[in-house]
Amino acid sequence: QVSVLYFARSAELAGLRSETLSVPQQITSLQLWEEIVKAHPRLAVIRDQVVFAVRQEYVLLGDQLLVLQPGDEVAIIPPISGG
Amino acid sequence: MDESEDVPKDFIKLKSAKLSVDEVSELVVSPSCGAVSLFIGTTRNNFEGKKVIHLEYEAYTSMAETEMKKICRDVRQKWPSVKHIAVHHRLGVVPITEASVIIAVSSPHRAESLEAVKYCINTLKASVPIWKKEIYEDEYSWKENKECFWANSEK
Repeated sequence: QVSVLYFARSAELAGLRSETLSVPQQITSLQLWEEIVKAHPRLAVIRDQVVFAVRQEYVLLGDQLLVLQPGDEVAIIPPISGG
Repeated sequence: MDESEDVPKDFIKLKSAKLSVDEVSELVVSPSCGAVSLFIGTTRNNFEGKKVIHLEYEAYTSMAETEMKKICRDVRQKWPSVKHIAVHHRLGVVPITEASVIIAVSSPHRAESLEAVKYCINTLKASVPIWKKEIYEDEYSWKENKECFWANSEK
């Protein structure tokens, strides 16, 4: 069980800011995205623009294998615009 | 006998209240430094012909602070003479002409603090998880920094 955090446009599309999700302990970042889109289909439109932050490290959507622990924070990160 | 008085310090703050240039520059002033360099990011009132009413910022606060600390660490590696670094970023609603971000760096001589400030704002725009929404008269838009390394910019 991980904590998924939504920000900016992804929060608008998903309709929420955070939730817990049950996912396999080992999963690729792309598979994780697909699990999240199953729960929130409107997120599909931003697939090419987002990255994850897993335990506060950026992770691109792809084949990278994630090893998740219970309570880990996974954030959906749309293109940033600070400063 | 307090020897830690002038130890190099990083001052990182995300806050929704109005930012103060005086406050941020005073944080980095140091008796051993002859230079304080400052950057202020302010909100423009227009974008592509549309009138901007105000900006709204949100952040992944814990990660934003961590990324800002990494930037400070990088600055100290690149410019070891840099003394204090302050980065204040505003969250929530920011009215036109008010500051969204203020960066101040002190160093003994001006070259390092000027370079460090430039590096801070450029890197912040590329790596710190903060998002800006521009509110126009009848719509809004989530902005995307061109520095963002994963965004498609050829749309």
